[in-house]
Amino acid sequence: MKKLAGKIAVITGGSSGIGLATAKRFVAEGAHVVMTGRREKELNEAAALIRDNVTTVVGDVARLDDLDRLYTVVKEKHGHIDILFANAGAGTIAPLAAATEAHFDQTFDVNVKGLFFTVQKALPLFRDGGSIILTSSVSNVMGLPGFSAYAASKAAVRNFARAWTLELKDRKIRVNSMSPRTDRDPRFGDDDGPHS
Amino acid sequence: MTRLNGKTAVITGGATGIGLASAKRFIAEGAFVFIYGRRQAALDAAVAELGPNARAVKGSVSNEVDLDRLYAAVKAERGSLDIVFANAGAGSPLPLGQITAEHIDEAFDTNVKGTIFTVQKALPLMGPGGSIILTGSSAGTTGAPGFTAYSASKAAVRNLARSWAEDLKGTGIRVNVLSPGATATELAKQALGEAGQKAYGAMTPLQRMADPAEIAAVAAFLASPDSSFMTASEVAVDGGLAQL
Repeated sequence: MKKLAGKIAVITGGSSGIGLATAKRFVAEGAHVVMTGRREKELNEAAALIRDNVTTVVGDVARLDDLDRLYTVVKEKHGHIDILFANAGAGTIAPLAAATEAHFDQTFDVNVKGLFFTVQKALPLFRDGGSIILTSSVSNVMGLPGFSAYAASKAAVRNFARAWTLELKDRKIRVNSMSPRTDRDPRFGDDDGPHS
Repeated sequence: MTRLNGKTAVITGGATGIGLASAKRFIAEGAFVFIYGRRQAALDAAVAELGPNARAVKGSVSNEVDLDRLYAAVKAERGSLDIVFANAGAGSPLPLGQITAEHIDEAFDTNVKGTIFTVQKALPLMGPGGSIILTGSSAGTTGAPGFTAYSASKAAVRNLARSWAEDLKGTGIRVNVLSPGATATELAKQALGEAGQKAYGAMTPLQRMADPAEIAAVAAFLASPDSSFMTASEVAVDGGLAQL
């Protein structure tokens, strides 16, 4: 299947899990993928698995400078973006009574603020008619003990898709959120991929 | 694309609209398709268009004897069944205050009872890897003037998939709901006219009605192993109409 022949796709949180599996599939379907992740070693190992048609940029979506560097590379190498998979996510488990400010900030800095600017900073490079995919989680409509910050951040992501659908409709850019249940991911609680 | 190679599919309401577009797509992806509908002339025209990998069985989803004939035909020619697209639907608008028992039955007999027996009677022919797709509607999560019966029936369809995902645990059969929004089928275009089509397009974030082939593409995804971790889900294919 070559449904994505010639498309330029950006994937955040590409080192492992859903991001890496998606990068493989996008390349198999004809796309060129630029993927980002915080950990250089894992990111390079992931790119080695995909081999062709993949570019890596080390960076953290919670850092706006890193996002600027990512899109500078995309612009220099490809000039535009057709597909953005804003997939990087973070979250640790902490019951309300014990949660710290750092726990809350880490979750919202990556999942909400990081994703917001991942999309905003992509827009100047986006081709009209492109597709933006946000990784939410089944927890965006579920309550789970210890997951209040994570679940709330994923509900925010789901709702970004509503406003952005309207804001971007004149450019024919579609926005959707995908809600996986990722209990098969062995690295639960780590970074660079969605967890629920 | 050959995601459905060797698969056998039943599509109810398959002679026209979303059902016919899905039959085309399933066949293009390698499936053998039985379309089921009430009008012989429409079935004949559809089979002529679909070619050698299509069969037609005439019947109504609200008639159990008809459904038995459908599945007997599937069993006789193919032996087993992989995909059921329970897509036949009915309904007309009538405001609260004028609703009759017949009006309620029209929507619920086809959309709810018909869907239940379409699926129940298919199960003996199905096994691991099977996929059941139910046609919901953006009307199942929104209100509209006169849509009492239709909206409620589609909300019921959406919920069938939840119980069935539990009932089908351990069988390897998945069940999901595909909910279209305003779709430019021949029937809808006739019923709405130019002005009505424009009005529905204007209500939709993507600013137009769907081509039936766009619904069929998602039906093929739900029928195929590409959706292998999905069950009990509702997939909206509505241009954003009911998602904001």
